Amino acid sequence: MWVVAGIVGIAGLCTVIEYSSLKNFKKDLWVFGIAMAAATAISIAKALNVTIPNPLDWIAAWFEPLGRSMKRMFD
Amino acid sequence: MLDNGKINGRQLMVLIYLYSIGTTVLVIPSGLASVAKQDAWIGGIVGVIIGMALVLLYTALWRVYPGKTFVGICQEALGKGVGTVLSLIYVFYSFIGAATVLFYVSNFFLIHFLPHTPVMFTSSLFALVVVMGSRMGLETIARTSELMLPWFIILFVVLVTTLTPQIDSQKLLPVFESGGKSVFWAGITFSGTAYMPIVFLFSIFPRVQEGLTGKVRLGLFASALAGGLSVVLVTLLCILILGPQITARSMFPSYALVKKISIGHFIQRIEVLLAGLWFITTYMKTTYYYYSWVTSLSEILKLKNYRTLTLPCAMLMVVFSLIVYPNVVYMQHWDTIVFPPYIIVMAVVIPLALWLIGLLKGSKDLSATRK
Repeated sequence: MWVVAGIVGIAGLCTVIEYSSLKNFKKDLWVFGIAMAAATAISIAKALNVTIPNPLDWIAAWFEPLGRSMKRMFD
Repeated sequence: MLDNGKINGRQLMVLIYLYSIGTTVLVIPSGLASVAKQDAWIGGIVGVIIGMALVLLYTALWRVYPGKTFVGICQEALGKGVGTVLSLIYVFYSFIGAATVLFYVSNFFLIHFLPHTPVMFTSSLFALVVVMGSRMGLETIARTSELMLPWFIILFVVLVTTLTPQIDSQKLLPVFESGGKSVFWAGITFSGTAYMPIVFLFSIFPRVQEGLTGKVRLGLFASALAGGLSVVLVTLLCILILGPQITARSMFPSYALVKKISIGHFIQRIEVLLAGLWFITTYMKTTYYYYSWVTSLSEILKLKNYRTLTLPCAMLMVVFSLIVYPNVVYMQHWDTIVFPPYIIVMAVVIPLALWLIGLLKGSKDLSATRK
């Protein structure tokens, strides 16, 4: 629970830091809000031990066969 | 996208030098030694040669699209839609790069300095410094790298000179036992870590004051060569002092190497001082991955200022540095099997294609104006 509170606190602090420079730019403010919400959500999910898909697995799905054959070729 | 900071050719040289040493010096001696045994250093030299060809490719790409970031290059070569998709793939790649490099750094801290501190805190603190640098802008990072260079060189010279008494040249023999194929593969992995990430520096090439003059190009080659040769020298010392087996087996062989320093049984265990080397270079590497990620993304989204994205992206970077490599076994598998073809496609095949497209378009424009 403390971890979640800490993450929300950090996110709030970041928003306070950025808000004054962003309030005149609508689009930037929106992008910041969405990105911050996503980052907070993922951090909380990680803190609560939810399994988050690993982006390296997606890359491996594409490139692993190629990598194996390359390694075989040079060994 | 608002960063009016300009850097000059000399600063570009310094940062290419530190960037190409980056995490390479920390991890690559082990990778090279596991592929090419005692010929790891020959593999390194092959890697440097491949790297020179890569720098040639990147300068050619820079010349065809002067004053453009990578996002700009993609959009000009392939049109708005396809170009944006391709540049998003690059943004993803620099995001992965930033997260994995941060993992390397925090893992290094975890293993050697702070074994009881939760890894989240070390990576958050490191990320904090990276974010501070990036928010202050390119000029600040470039000047920081200039300030750090003398310290880096002092530490590097200390490392090399204090280790030379322990060299055992027997460990190099028999030379070229592993054969051409292994050495070439070692060269590819070397240039994959040291030189191919230079493709991210396209986010700062447009900010070089002079543009691509002959002097800047020469500086690029010289600093990339110097960076590569520094890493080859460290690899050679690893082989000469630790031997190929221990080098291949250890996680951070260059750190294991530095532990061996002992001058008259009096000056010894100075590895923590020399760890400054890796802090400097990995800081530069993480910062430029991160900077490239944030600026490219804000250029795609057409934001007023890239600083908007720095804080959320930093949070994502820290979280994903805990996710990308669940364990060291996964890391070694991914780095040796998946990473080489991936980075070859991203940093060689696609830039080459973009360069050819630019060349064809350029010649078409030229013939159109002639008519």
